[in-house]
Amino acid sequence: MKTLDRRLGLLSALPVTLLMVLAFLAPLVVVAIFSIMPPKVFSLANTPDFSAYAVFFKQGYYKSLLWSLGMALASTVILLVVCWPLAYAMAKIFKRFTLVLTIAIVMSLFVSENIRLFGWVLTLMKGGLIEGHFRALTGIGFDSPLYGVPIIVFGLVYVYLPFMLFPLAQGISMVPDDTRQAAYDLGATRWQVLWQIEIPLAAPGIVVGSLLSFVLAAGALAESKILGGQAVIAIADDIETAFTFGQNWPLGSALSMILIVIIGTLALFGVSKVDLDAIMGRKR
Amino acid sequence: MNASRLTRTVLFIYGIAMIAFLYLPLVSVGFASVSQSRYLSFPIKRYSTKWYGEALESSTVSELLLTSLSVALLVTVIALVFAFFGALAFARYQWRFRNTFQKLILLPIFFPQTVLGLALLMWFNSLGIIPTWKTAVVAHLIWITPIATLIVAIRAYSFDPALEEAARDMGAGTFTVLREITLPLLMPGIVSAGLFAFLLSWGNFPLSLFTTGADSTLPEWLYAKMVSGYSPLVPTLGIMSVVGSFLLILFAVAVVWLMRANKEARTAQD
Amino acid sequence: MDSSPFLRLRGVVKSFGTFTALDRIDLDINEGEFFTIVGPSGSGKSTLIRLLVGMDDLTDGEIRLRDKRIDDTPANLRPTCMVFQSLALFPHMTVGQNIEFPLKLRKEAPDRRKARALELLDLLRLPQSYYDKRISQCSGGEKQRVALARALAFDPEILFFDEPLSALDYRLRKTLEKELKDLHARTGKTFVYITHSLEEAMVMSDRIAIMKEGRIEQISEADEIYGAPVSRFVAEFMGEVNLFGVTTGGDGTVTSDVLTVRPGATLAKAPAGARGLLMVRPEYVRFADDGDSYDFTLSGTLHGEYALGSRIQYEIETAAGMVTVEKLREDRRAVAEGEQLTVGFNARNTHFIDEAA
Repeated sequence: MKTLDRRLGLLSALPVTLLMVLAFLAPLVVVAIFSIMPPKVFSLANTPDFSAYAVFFKQGYYKSLLWSLGMALASTVILLVVCWPLAYAMAKIFKRFTLVLTIAIVMSLFVSENIRLFGWVLTLMKGGLIEGHFRALTGIGFDSPLYGVPIIVFGLVYVYLPFMLFPLAQGISMVPDDTRQAAYDLGATRWQVLWQIEIPLAAPGIVVGSLLSFVLAAGALAESKILGGQAVIAIADDIETAFTFGQNWPLGSALSMILIVIIGTLALFGVSKVDLDAIMGRKR
Repeated sequence: MNASRLTRTVLFIYGIAMIAFLYLPLVSVGFASVSQSRYLSFPIKRYSTKWYGEALESSTVSELLLTSLSVALLVTVIALVFAFFGALAFARYQWRFRNTFQKLILLPIFFPQTVLGLALLMWFNSLGIIPTWKTAVVAHLIWITPIATLIVAIRAYSFDPALEEAARDMGAGTFTVLREITLPLLMPGIVSAGLFAFLLSWGNFPLSLFTTGADSTLPEWLYAKMVSGYSPLVPTLGIMSVVGSFLLILFAVAVVWLMRANKEARTAQD
Repeated sequence: MDSSPFLRLRGVVKSFGTFTALDRIDLDINEGEFFTIVGPSGSGKSTLIRLLVGMDDLTDGEIRLRDKRIDDTPANLRPTCMVFQSLALFPHMTVGQNIEFPLKLRKEAPDRRKARALELLDLLRLPQSYYDKRISQCSGGEKQRVALARALAFDPEILFFDEPLSALDYRLRKTLEKELKDLHARTGKTFVYITHSLEEAMVMSDRIAIMKEGRIEQISEADEIYGAPVSRFVAEFMGEVNLFGVTTGGDGTVTSDVLTVRPGATLAKAPAGARGLLMVRPEYVRFADDGDSYDFTLSGTLHGEYALGSRIQYEIETAAGMVTVEKLREDRRAVAEGEQLTVGFNARNTHFIDEAA
């Protein structure tokens, strides 16, 4: 049985592995090579000169990167705080309502994020759903919160909420009820139970949720473009511009590589810390 | 956990508020789609369905829908085949590189999709492939296959390997076991993975952006119109896409429900 | 009023919707006692312990500890502590950190905490090297001891146990039962123990309460519960038993449809003129062909013989149903299935259960 398992495992992993190697890892290698090419070439057959990386520092692209990372961090922290009570309730308190919430939130994921962000523009713009109706009722108008850094963070929180909520709920459901009650019984306060029992035991869920939302938010493009009106430029935006208007593939590749290295390090570190079998509900 | 009634109520209201928060923008889009005026402003003065009529007659729109549909269908079929075997390798079989494999599969999910799309663009370029909607299928697959695999894997985890062993014990070969035991038992996971695959592909924008070449999917077109040159068709098509997704989900739920009812009726007859 | 007991429950009710899990429970537990609550699953014993520890709120009634009401004190402020069925050890902490947890909450100095933890490891007969072990590295019995050490570190007024031994294998359970009794003697603490196992209760307890359907059927010392149960339920719950329908006359005389009563045989403790059940445990039933005479006899055919290790059990089909006879293995007697037998027992080994009461 053991040897059969081993052979079947290898065999059934083959299709996905091939896909990953040919269409995920190989393209990344191409990006890496392009990133060291001289400016504005479209072929790999050139002498490498690393000039694109110098541009990153000289032309202020690092600002975009810092903005992206900063906004991603802010949205991750906000998401943690906003999602914890709901995740807790979904894992431990609600019964039927957990299913309703899960279905409602998953369904929202199926709507293209562009449409949902555009919906926020219609909701929040001057003369939009909120301001328009408010003015019609009271005669007093107010400025739209659109086009600024806070609204981009708001958009990130909105779009990546499910990516924080579900892992968090999964993590919390892995905290045995008994350990929490035992801690209370031994004299711990609510706060002590939260910090010393629940958060450490839910750590795998917290790590996966934070990592997912941070990483996705750091590479996000649509929020700053649609909601932010380019109040700040996200790094993904710079990358896109370098490829399209700039027609400078090596620059785009270098910017991508920098983002990939940061995100990849985080993702690999986080993923290696987590026992996937346990999170996904291994029964054996 | 014995939360007090008050805590329960507060959390329940919080949950409802969360759903409202998630769907509020769609409400705005919905209203906008039935506004008669070309330049939108709330409160809406005159309602009309003329944009829907225009959308249904437009040949651009039907082309967009056709492209999106072809991509999503192809992605669903291929991703399911990958995911079925991938999930077995992920959850069911104990083999040497299982841990590495699990982590490899997760990486694309953690990856910024825009960058992934660009990387593929360069990869296709260096292979001499001209991007069309078919290359977008490959792009979608890299992101959707892992998700589909995880969904089937959840099912595979709760599956008792003794069932397969029993079948083998009664003389079934590897292929027979897969077809007669493994596949039917994983079916619920495969159905939901299929639904996810189709809908995520249907709504995806960042991966399509650079990989469709001259073709365009619906989300791409919407984005282009949102960022530059607003068209009153944007909310209309947005709502049509959303309604299409929800109808598909309803359809899937109905099919599953009918199949179950049918099965129960048959067992009741026996 | 005489001195009030250590832990006193009065009229404790717990309902879940329309279902009453606990129905007006009155209970007094003395300081330093090993008190066990026994009952089948669904009898309400787990609900009761959750109320005592403070994990659930009562619907009605009161709980007093040293005459002070504690039923509205939350679990973390009660001077009581529980050893969980699952043990509820914190998997992300070492053995030492688990034991020190309650001390850390009280902000005791690290060196004093460690000293106390090592002391407790000694008390529970665990090597001091276990201090740095992870919980996952401990065996079932070791985890049990760590959970006990943690509860003792809390230094509770009362230590509650929610079937902590039920998941262990037979031999380990027997060892730990004795250790627990021993620990009770050494610490002098009040132990309140919950179990569905009669054997466990008998080995360890000073007094036992039997629960049935949310009510307490009987509270007595272990011997009395075994020998003088108040109802058919208690009699049957506490091991194998033979019951015969009888009616008492005046002066302790007794008549029965199924038993042959020797003239002059009397039940001294039975009330006069009552209908009830005459209970006799299988080890007091003898085969009547050994020459002795018995107060009560009946005949039947041998149904089967079962070896139970040190004892042998015989089942005899009679007009009163199946009668069980038990002998020590050394007193084993050769019988054949279907053999006609007469068995008998004496009045002093019986107990009368008044069914009207």
